[in-house]
Amino acid sequence: MDDIDAMFSDMLQEMDLLTQSLGEEAESAPLPKPPSIPDPQEMNFSIGFTDLNASLHDLEDNDLDALMADLVADISATEEKFATKRDTFTGSAPVAPIPSQPQNNFSLLVSTDTFRPATSSNSIAAPPPPPASKPSKEELEEQMKADKIKLALEKLKEAKVKKLVVKVEIMDGSSKTLMVDERQTVRDVIDNLFEKTHCDCNVDWSVCETNPDLQTERGFEDHENLVEPLSTWTRDTENKVRFQEKIDKYEVFRNPQNFYLWKKDKKSLKDMKDKDKEQLLEENFCGASVIVPDLEGVLYLKEDGKKSWKQRYFLLRASGLYYSPKGKTKASRDLVCLVQFDNVNVYYCKEYRIKYKAPTDHCFILKHPQIQKESQYIKYLCCDDEWTMTLWLTGIRIAKYGKQLYDNFKVAVRKAAGSATWANRTIQASSSASTPSPTPKAKAANGHAPQPAVETKGSGNQTTFPPPPPSMEILPPPPPNTAKVNKFPPPPQFPQSSFPPPPMDDLPPLPPPQEDAELPPEFLPPPPPSLTSNGGEALPPPPPDLFASLPPPPPAPQNFASAGGAPPPPPPPPPAAHKPTDFVRKVAPPPLKRTTPQLTAPSGGDFMSELMTAMQKKRSHQ
Amino acid sequence: MAAWDLSVTVEELGPQAPPLKISVTSDLHIGGVILKVVEKSQIQRDWSDHALWWEQKQQWLLKPSWTLDKCGIHADARLCLTSQHKPLRLRLPSGITFRLRACFSSPVFRSVTGICKLLNIRHPEELSLLWPVEEKKRKKEKDVEEELYDITRAPLPSSSIPKLANGMPAFFAEAAETEAVYKMLAVSQPAPAPETIAKLYRTTNITEKAHINSRWLDSSRSLLQQGVRENDKLILRFKYYTFHDIAPQADAVRVTQLYEQARWAVLLEETECTEEEMMVFAALQYHIGKVSLMEQFVTSCPAMEDLDSALQCLEVKMEGESSADDMLETMTAPELHDYLKIFRPKRLTLKGYKQYWFTFKETTISYFKSKEESCKEPIQQMSLKGCEVAPDVSVAGQKFCIRLLIPGPEGMNEVYLRCEHEQQYSRWMAACRLASKGKTLADSSFSSEVQSIQSFLAMQKTTPSTNTAQTDESINTHSLVSPRYQKKYKPKQLTPRILEAYQNVAQLSLTDAIQRFLQIWQALPDFGLAYVVVRFKGCRKDEVLGIANNRLIRIDLSVGDVVKTWRYNTMRQWNVNWDIKQVAIEFDGNVNIAFSCVTADCKIVHEYIGGYIFMSTRGREQSNTLNEELFHKLTGGHEAL
Repeated sequence: MDDIDAMFSDMLQEMDLLTQSLGEEAESAPLPKPPSIPDPQEMNFSIGFTDLNASLHDLEDNDLDALMADLVADISATEEKFATKRDTFTGSAPVAPIPSQPQNNFSLLVSTDTFRPATSSNSIAAPPPPPASKPSKEELEEQMKADKIKLALEKLKEAKVKKLVVKVEIMDGSSKTLMVDERQTVRDVIDNLFEKTHCDCNVDWSVCETNPDLQTERGFEDHENLVEPLSTWTRDTENKVRFQEKIDKYEVFRNPQNFYLWKKDKKSLKDMKDKDKEQLLEENFCGASVIVPDLEGVLYLKEDGKKSWKQRYFLLRASGLYYSPKGKTKASRDLVCLVQFDNVNVYYCKEYRIKYKAPTDHCFILKHPQIQKESQYIKYLCCDDEWTMTLWLTGIRIAKYGKQLYDNFKVAVRKAAGSATWANRTIQASSSASTPSPTPKAKAANGHAPQPAVETKGSGNQTTFPPPPPSMEILPPPPPNTAKVNKFPPPPQFPQSSFPPPPMDDLPPLPPPQEDAELPPEFLPPPPPSLTSNGGEALPPPPPDLFASLPPPPPAPQNFASAGGAPPPPPPPPPAAHKPTDFVRKVAPPPLKRTTPQLTAPSGGDFMSELMTAMQKKRSHQ
Repeated sequence: MAAWDLSVTVEELGPQAPPLKISVTSDLHIGGVILKVVEKSQIQRDWSDHALWWEQKQQWLLKPSWTLDKCGIHADARLCLTSQHKPLRLRLPSGITFRLRACFSSPVFRSVTGICKLLNIRHPEELSLLWPVEEKKRKKEKDVEEELYDITRAPLPSSSIPKLANGMPAFFAEAAETEAVYKMLAVSQPAPAPETIAKLYRTTNITEKAHINSRWLDSSRSLLQQGVRENDKLILRFKYYTFHDIAPQADAVRVTQLYEQARWAVLLEETECTEEEMMVFAALQYHIGKVSLMEQFVTSCPAMEDLDSALQCLEVKMEGESSADDMLETMTAPELHDYLKIFRPKRLTLKGYKQYWFTFKETTISYFKSKEESCKEPIQQMSLKGCEVAPDVSVAGQKFCIRLLIPGPEGMNEVYLRCEHEQQYSRWMAACRLASKGKTLADSSFSSEVQSIQSFLAMQKTTPSTNTAQTDESINTHSLVSPRYQKKYKPKQLTPRILEAYQNVAQLSLTDAIQRFLQIWQALPDFGLAYVVVRFKGCRKDEVLGIANNRLIRIDLSVGDVVKTWRYNTMRQWNVNWDIKQVAIEFDGNVNIAFSCVTADCKIVHEYIGGYIFMSTRGREQSNTLNEELFHKLTGGHEAL
C-alpha cells in the first residue's frame, strides 16, 4: 500500500506539473487534451474505439470506490448498459489491435513509443490505490462524475465511432500523432495538422500514403475518409502517412489550360488570362457533367504478369482508361477498356526503372486500395516524361472524382485564406473548451488527448507533457469523458488498451497493483489468466503470441507485490508490452480483424468484473 | 389615283376557286386589302390569323400599315390570303409524331418558340426544325401507318397558355385523351424492338453525319418561305447542345425529350461510345423504362408499397430460415444461411465446387463444414466490403453463380459461389452487392435489390422472339444496344454484361437515372459535335469542321483525327461572304481561317457558330427572358440586316 501511495503521489505530482504547464486549462477537468498532445509525438498508429478510451479515462478519473458504488447501485438498469459498454470497450480494445496493426508497425519504427505504453500500463495499475485515499475529498464529485460517465457511455454507445491514432510524418523529419475518427474527412485532418504544424496552410498541403513494398505514393483527396483506407492496411505494413505539399494536387485548377488545352503550344498557354482560365473551369467542371481532359497518347503498359513493357496508344474517357489495339482505329467502338475507375485509385510510383525495368521512372499504377503488394490485379503504366505523367494522373483523378475535386479545391482555398485567423480563434476556444463539443474535430482531438496522456504518464517523463497543452486546446469537444480522465494521469491505461497489443498488458497490470496493495498472492494469479485467455480469444490470429507475451506480465506483478515497490513494476511490464505488440503485428492476418471485435467483447466484461471483485476485496480489507 | 385590279386567292374558297379581283389604289395599305378581300369573299369567320402571302416573291405581307406602293406590289402580283398557323406533322426526339399548328409566317426561331410553348418545353432556343431524311422507297412500308397525335385544336401559341401546377398546359387536361397525349410527351417511351432500331437510318461515317446538318431549317426565315407546306413532316430536335438550367420539376417534357434524343443518338451511334459505355447506357435505359412504367401504373400509394416490402422481407426471412431459433436470430439482425457451393479458381488446380454451410452476417460471409458446426470457428471468413460482384448466370443452364473479387493486400481473391436456384441466388446476390458497398442486410434497399435481380433474371427467360415493345418485366436486351452490339452478342451474352452495369444504377430514381444518362452522354468525347464537310481556303481536299458549344474542330476526313482546335473565346470575328459562300474567321494572335461549305449551306454553319455564341450569353439570372433580337443578330447574316 505504501508503495502504491507513493506512486500515486508521484503521479499526482506529475499531474500538477502538467496542469501547471497547461495553465488555466488545468483547472478544467476536460483538459484531457493535454495528455493527448504528448501522445501524438510519441504514438504511432493506433486504432481504438472512442468508447473504450472514454470509458477508460472516466474510470481512472473516478475513484474506484465511486465506480464500485456506481456498479452496485445501478445493477438493474445501468449495469447491463455498462457491461455492454465495457464489453465493447474491452472488445474494441482488442479489435483496435487489428486496425492498430499499422500503428504498431509505426510504433516499431519508433521503439521508444512502444516502451512508453508498457510503462504507462504499470503506472496505471498504481492509480487505483490512490483513489481510496482520495474518496474523502471527492466523494460528491465522484458521484457527479459517475453520472456523467453514464451519460457519456450512453452517448458513446450511440456513436460507436471508430478511431485511429495516426502518426503523420512531416517533411522536416518530425512527426505528429493525431486521433482520427471514422467520420473525419482528410480535409478535417489537414485542418487539424494546420493547427499543429504552423505551416503556411496553402492549398497544396495534402495527406499522403506511401507504400514501400510497391514504392508508391498517393495523396488522399480532401473529401476522402482517412480511417477507412488505413484500416485495411496489414499489421506488418510499413506504409506511412505523410503531410506534405503536393503541387500537383490542385494544379489543374490554377492552370486548367495546361491540362485541357495540352495540345496547344506551351507559349500561348503561359500568358493565359485569369478570365479565360475561369471560363475553362466553368466549361469543364460546372456543366451538367464534368469534362475529362481529352488525353491520348502512347504509354507503356506492363502486361498482366509479364515483365515486359509494351507501348500502347491510350485514351482517357470519363468512363475509364482505354487503349486502341494494334491495327484498329481510334474510334470509340474499337477501343479496349484497360480499367474503369470505380474501384481503383491511381498511385505515383518511384524508381520503377530498377524495380520493374520500366522504360522511365515516370510510372503510375492503378489498383484497388486494399491491394498492398505486387499483384496481377495492378495495372502498371509508364510515361515518357514527368509532365505526361502529371497529365494522366490528373486526368484520371478528374475522371474518378469529377466535380468533387473542384469542390475540394474551393474549400481548400477558403481554408487557406482564413487559416491564420481561424487558428487563433480555435486556440482560444480550445482553452475554454471544458464543455463537450459535438463536432468531429473536437472528438478527434479528444481521442488524441487520451492516448497521449497515457503514454506520457506511462513513460513517466514529465518533460514530455509540455507538448500536451496545445493538444488540450484541440480536445475540447470530448469534455465529458475526457475531462474527468484528464485530471487523473492513470487513465492513460485505457488509451493503451485501445492499442491492440497493449490492451492485454494493461489489463493484467491493473489487477496486480490492487492485489499488491492488499491481497497480492491470491489475486495476482487469477486476473492474469482471465485476461490472457480473453485476449487470446479476442484476437484469433495473435492468440499464440499474445499468450506468450502475456505470461511475462503476471510474473512481474507478483514480483512487484513481493517487493512492495510500486515503481519497480513498470520496468518489467514494458518489455512484455513490446513483445505482444510485435507479435500482434506479425501475426495479425487481415481476416481476423473482423472476427476479433466480437470475441474481444467478452474479455472486456471479464476485465470489468475482475476489477469489481478486486475493488470489493480491497474495500473489505480496508 | 388610279385604281387597278389586284387578284387575291382565298384559301377558304377552295383550291379550285378563281382568285378574287379587287379594285385597289397604290396607296391602299395591306390592312385595307385584307378587309376588301374578306368582304368580297362573303365568308363569316375569324380572320384574325390570316395574312397575305406574295407567291412570286415568296414573302409574307405582315405589315398592315404598309401601302401596296411601299411593298412594291403591282397588278401582276399574285397574292394569297391564308392562315399564318397551319398544321404540321412534327416528329419529336422520342420518335412520336404530333400534329399541331405552327406558325408559318414568323421566322422559324419564333415558330419553334411557339411549338415549345405548346409542348411545355422551356428554352426553345436550343431546339430547331429540320427536314426528315428522304424516305427511301421501301417496299410494303404502307402497312405501318404511323401513329399520330393530333393536338391541332390547342390554342394558338400566340395567346397565353395557362398552365397547371405541374407545368402541364391546361388544354391537355381538358380530356382524358389529351392528358394521355401529354404523357406521351413527358414520359419516356418503352424500348423499341431491335428491328426498329436496325431499320432506322444510321450514319456510318463522319460524312453521313455531316449530311444530317444540311437539313436544318433557316431560323431567320419563315416555314412557308422555306417551302414547308401544310401537313408537311418536320423533325423537332435539340440543336444546340448547351442545356441551360435544367430543372426536372419544371422540365418534364424537355428532359424526357432530351433523354429520348440522347438515347437514339446512342442507339444509332450518332454519338459514338465504347462497349463499356454502351452497357451502362443499356442498363440505364432498362432502369428508366422499368421505373417509368412503375410510376405510371403504381400511382403513389406508399402504404401499399410498405406492406409489399414488409411482406417480401418476411418471405425472404422465412425462406432462409429453417429452425425457430434461427428465426429469432434473424429478427434481431438479418442474416442468410444456406448450403452453397464454393469454388476458388487457382492456377494448376482443377478442383470443382465444394459444398459448405454459409452464413451471411453484416457484410461478411463465413462458411463451415456443415450446419451443425456453424457454432464453431468458420473455415473462412470473407469480408465483402469493397469487393467486386459479378453475376455468372444462365437460367437455361440452371447455373446461378456469383463471382466475387475480394480485395486483399496481396491482390484480388476470386471466389465463385454457386446457388441452387433463382430465389436463393437473388438473395445472396443482393446481399453481396449491398455488402460490397458497405451496406448490411438490414439495409432497406435489400428487398428491392432482390426484386431487381429477379426481374433481370426474368429477362433471360423470355424468348428473344417476343420482340414487341417492353411489357412489364420482359425485355429483349437487344432493344437496349445499337445494332453493332445486336450483331456482336446474343441476348443471353448481353444480359450479364448489362446486369453488371445495372447494379450500379438500380437504386436510382427516375429523375436521377435520366440525369445520369444525360451526364454520361454529355461526357462522351463526341458529344455535341455538329459536323460539316468544308474545304479550307488553299486546300485541295475536303475536310470536316466540327462545331461544338465552345470550339471549332478541324478534322481529317480520311483518318478522323482532330487536326486543330479553335475556341470561341479566342475568336475575334467571323464573316460570311454570301456570294462565294465562304466563312472567314479571325482568332486571337492573327490566326485567320476561311473555308467554303460543301455539305451544308454556309448559313447553317454561320447560324451554328452564332447560335452557340448566343447560348453562351445566356446568364443564369435572366433565364426567363429570351433575347430574340440578339439571336437574329448573331445568326441572321445579311438577311437580318
